[in-house]
Amino acid sequence: MAKAKLLNKIFNAGPLILLYYLSISEVDTNLEKVFEIFTFNLPIIIIYFWILKKPSEMGTGHIFVVGLINDVVMGFPLGISSMSYLVVCFFANYVRNKSINTTIASDWLTFFIALIFANLLFFSLLNNFSDVAISYTKIGYNTFFTLFLFPIFWVLFSIYQNNLIGGQDA
Amino acid sequence: MSVSRDDFSIAFRSALLQRGGAQKFSILSLIILAIFIFFLDVYGFTVIKKTRNIINDVVFRVSYLASSPARLMPNASKGIADHFYLKEENEKLKKAIENYKSLDLNLEYLTNENKNLRKVLDAESETSNQKRIVLSKVLVDKNSPFLKSIIINKGTKSGIKKGMPVSQDNNLVGRIVDTNFLSSRVLLLNDLNSRIPVTLGENSTQAILTGSATQNPKLEYLPENYVFKDDVNVFASGKDGIFTPGTPIGKTLENGEVKLFVDSSQLSFVTVNLIRLNEEEF
Repeated sequence: MAKAKLLNKIFNAGPLILLYYLSISEVDTNLEKVFEIFTFNLPIIIIYFWILKKPSEMGTGHIFVVGLINDVVMGFPLGISSMSYLVVCFFANYVRNKSINTTIASDWLTFFIALIFANLLFFSLLNNFSDVAISYTKIGYNTFFTLFLFPIFWVLFSIYQNNLIGGQDA
Repeated sequence: MSVSRDDFSIAFRSALLQRGGAQKFSILSLIILAIFIFFLDVYGFTVIKKTRNIINDVVFRVSYLASSPARLMPNASKGIADHFYLKEENEKLKKAIENYKSLDLNLEYLTNENKNLRKVLDAESETSNQKRIVLSKVLVDKNSPFLKSIIINKGTKSGIKKGMPVSQDNNLVGRIVDTNFLSSRVLLLNDLNSRIPVTLGENSTQAILTGSATQNPKLEYLPENYVFKDDVNVFASGKDGIFTPGTPIGKTLENGEVKLFVDSSQLSFVTVNLIRLNEEEF
């Protein structure tokens, strides 16, 4: 019984652990070696999906800290990733409050809006308050692939949620 | 109409201020905190800079530990694969030996090149300073689509300062752009923010090597009507007063890009050249 409880806790914390691991480790989703333009932003997909479906497993405080860690590791000004992630959280919260039942298509559409706002905030702050030059083409590819891959991760995370965690939060 | 507006404002407020369960803080309070931290960092006060340096040092080391399994896995699988492909490797090595033999035949070409490079070097004192190097280990090599940089395990404690050149096996890798007490960030040559004066070819043509956020940086500001050729060696010209003249960088490709001698994704140890330590403040 205690073992099952522990396992359940670990499975519940899975998305958050993955989010922390992605931010602090060398593991990344920049697959330029596979295909030169192939990069996507997995943390944003994780945050959006889990805040939407199971907010009890994804505290906003954790998301804030993950953003700070990401900034330190990547060399961005502190707080910029946190702001971008929290904008995604806000959109996911809003959609959850407004809708009773969501589908993959509706989630995809609302994710698009969240992603655009989050990236807009991130890159406009970086452009105006930092000396770092960034390729706009890369931003475009990154946004496109993040959006394009959202349904795939939606299905994967839904399978994980249904089999290992349990139903959606009320 | 007014009902739907109320509905919108309730959902909006709720999304910003909602707390409970795992949500210990409201999104609004965290966004305000993030903005506060952002501006403190951007308009860097000394205290904040020092705090950030300490945070950087700690996070980089934790990041190094967290990345260990990811590093070990490819090494283990590579070891097994190598064991099974010994024969194939043997054939590859034979081909490599033949290539080296053909390189010997290019002695005349290399002699000319050497003469030109000697003209460029023009500074015996610079080469004598090369002993002042710091060997450092790559702590974090996180591949970002936007910034191409690595973190090394030596910082201001070892005498490293911003702007110092970083190399591996005497081939240029990049330069230091950020220093902490125990770690530093190295901007790689293929980063969009990287600009390096270089020289190439038998005529010692001058150019600027510019990062293009892709695998290979490209050559810019070449003489008019310059025709790109394959396999021309590119060296640092040292005209910026930072990089040692003659430091090898890579070979040209026909499209104007430069294939770097050092694969930036395979870096384990690098050397930081402290050559400018007592001469110039960056």
